[in-house]
Amino acid sequence: MMTDTNVKNSGESRKVFHIPLTDIYETADIYSVKLEMPGIVKENLDIVIDNDELKITAESSPEENTDSLKYAEFRAKDFSRTFRVGNDVDRNRIDAKLENGILTLTLHKSEAVKPKKISINQVN
Amino acid sequence: MYTYNIFNDMIKLRTVFDDFFEHKTGYESSREFPPVQIREADDRITIHALVPGITSGNIDIQLVDDNIVISGSKKEDYENQQYIRKERLFGEFKKSIKLPYRVKHDEIKADLANGVLTINLTKSEDAKPKKIEIN
Repeated sequence: MMTDTNVKNSGESRKVFHIPLTDIYETADIYSVKLEMPGIVKENLDIVIDNDELKITAESSPEENTDSLKYAEFRAKDFSRTFRVGNDVDRNRIDAKLENGILTLTLHKSEAVKPKKISINQVN
Repeated sequence: MYTYNIFNDMIKLRTVFDDFFEHKTGYESSREFPPVQIREADDRITIHALVPGITSGNIDIQLVDDNIVISGSKKEDYENQQYIRKERLFGEFKKSIKLPYRVKHDEIKADLANGVLTINLTKSEDAKPKKIEIN
């Protein structure tokens, strides 16, 4: 199962990270995680799985536009979110795709937890 | 409709407190979609808007007088599956941004990359100060 472990700011730094809005669905084989991260490029994205924590961090490149900021409804485009993942996720099979500011992660379930049909041997 | 004016900036302090107590850290605050940033220098204005998951075919930018109107629709992309979490928002949107001066109609450039819309505008000639000669 997947649960959210950080609905808080990172305490150690003064930098404020946005919590990306996320949709998650589950099938028999995978968990699909879709996160909104506008302005993020592949190079600035960090996805780490450590024990039971899946951490997604993205820090935007410094603003190249030096024109003075007159009005802002958002600050820098930095994102961070951590999810707790269970034993059912195969740590070595996580796919990531970044498109139009949306990061899609596919977490494959390990074979051991997948539903398995048990065949019955015919004994005469 | 949302219009940019000086009073909004002054009321923002209140929002800062509200956001703090409600633990809002995302850009997805109570603002109308899409959240924008406006930069200004010399004779140019740059508007950045966060529009994750929207393609250029689903977004429309119009210049109405001295307002930039961004409208469009964010199509929902749910799969026919069992969802554990649904936080992302979808639907129609429209936002109007009042510009500080009139801009050149034929020099508007808009780019959409990585879910960020960038609109570049330049000041119109008739909005620039004009020296009047005394005979």
